[in-house]
Amino acid sequence: MLEDDLRQVMADETAHLRAAPDLVDRVIRSSRRRRTVRTRYVAVAAAAAVVGITVPAGLILASGPAVVSGPAAEGVAAVVSPDSTGSAVPQPFEPPPLPTPSPTPSPTLDFGDLSDGKAFGRVKVGYLPDGLQWSHRSSDWGDAYTTSWNYDGDKNGFYCVQIFVHEGQALQEARERVQSYRFDSKGRSSRDDSKGEEVTIGDRTGYLITQWVGEDGGKGTPTMFLDMGPERMAEIMLSPVFVKDLGTREAVERELKKIAQGLTATDGDPGTTSEAPAADGGDAGKATEAPAGG
Amino acid sequence: MSGPEDDGFAAFVAARGTSLLRVAYLACGDDREAEDLLQTALERTYRKWDRVRYDNPEPYVRRVIVNTAISRARRRAILRIIPTHTPPELPVRETDVDLRHVLMDALRALPPRQRAVVVLRYWEDLGETQTAEILGCSAGTVKSQASKALTKLRSAIGAQSVEGLIRNVHA
Repeated sequence: MLEDDLRQVMADETAHLRAAPDLVDRVIRSSRRRRTVRTRYVAVAAAAAVVGITVPAGLILASGPAVVSGPAAEGVAAVVSPDSTGSAVPQPFEPPPLPTPSPTPSPTLDFGDLSDGKAFGRVKVGYLPDGLQWSHRSSDWGDAYTTSWNYDGDKNGFYCVQIFVHEGQALQEARERVQSYRFDSKGRSSRDDSKGEEVTIGDRTGYLITQWVGEDGGKGTPTMFLDMGPERMAEIMLSPVFVKDLGTREAVERELKKIAQGLTATDGDPGTTSEAPAADGGDAGKATEAPAGG
Repeated sequence: MSGPEDDGFAAFVAARGTSLLRVAYLACGDDREAEDLLQTALERTYRKWDRVRYDNPEPYVRRVIVNTAISRARRRAILRIIPTHTPPELPVRETDVDLRHVLMDALRALPPRQRAVVVLRYWEDLGETQTAEILGCSAGTVKSQASKALTKLRSAIGAQSVEGLIRNVHA
């Protein structure tokens, strides 16, 4: 049987592979390094608040300028504070201890019962096309999470609308993907109609494109990448099946823009607020096109 | 994370690291990228170890590996770093190495989700439902993707059946 032969070939092909002996060390070192950076970042804001230093929020959110690192500060972060002459002087401080993990771990890595599914992770959906129900399916990878909606709410059914939210490391990957859509392999801006287009959704920006997501058949997956502030990006996808039901390209774009407009953060992250569009679609006009190539 | 929890994580990696590395390799088709995929997945697992360790962590790591591999493959397809792969011309099969290369090339040439389905179904021996859970799709989709993948593999290796070829080359 082909399946058995495949197993044999795969076994032969991977027989030489062995996990590196220092794999655990590398993983733990890398994870701690990342966590330390995050802790320092929080500590900068905390320390600034404690000593009454006026640090513009934008500076802290931008992270870089507020943290000084160098040979003398190995393992210790430093706050930039103005001295009497007004110049920036590094002030070392000890980062606070890491938070204690919750004693009651969650056994699942999805969101469990989300009711109508409109609030998941750290976002809330304000608008969905008529007739859709939560699919009862979600996934939570920590810095990326997703859920979807379909016609019958069947967990095993095909999705109509799916929203991925990218944060942390996943955000970087998502941004790189959008950049790859924006520019061709020579770094030129892609203005070809078959590529995506820059859009504004209320006071936020987005990128509208039909992605090829690896499946056979269909004409691709219309997707809206919505910038939800400096720490978050949403990827709103309409399945090729649902696209057929919507009929026209205009209807597809209208629905994507309305979903994007209604999508908001629930953790108070700045730059992520918007209004839920009216169910009659009258608000879709708020989503206007912006010059491409940004 | 404390010392005993680190020990638990280290024990898990020691026990399952090689097996997970093989899944990563089959999902992406490249030694170096497989190591990077595995490390990325384990870093995520380590950060959530206080939650994951109470359950069986292996399915979680596997899920991260497979979905990250798919995500990267999609991005590469878009970036055109890897040109659209054309199944190789049928070579003269003189050795089992040739045959293995043909089948592995055909496996690499599958769309990322189909390749993931093949790896999870026929390498990891997961059922359709388990595979669907990992990929975030329906069992029906897994079934149809597996069927399409096998059809393509059969087509890539030619009209002659694989088992016959393998028997011949091992004879």
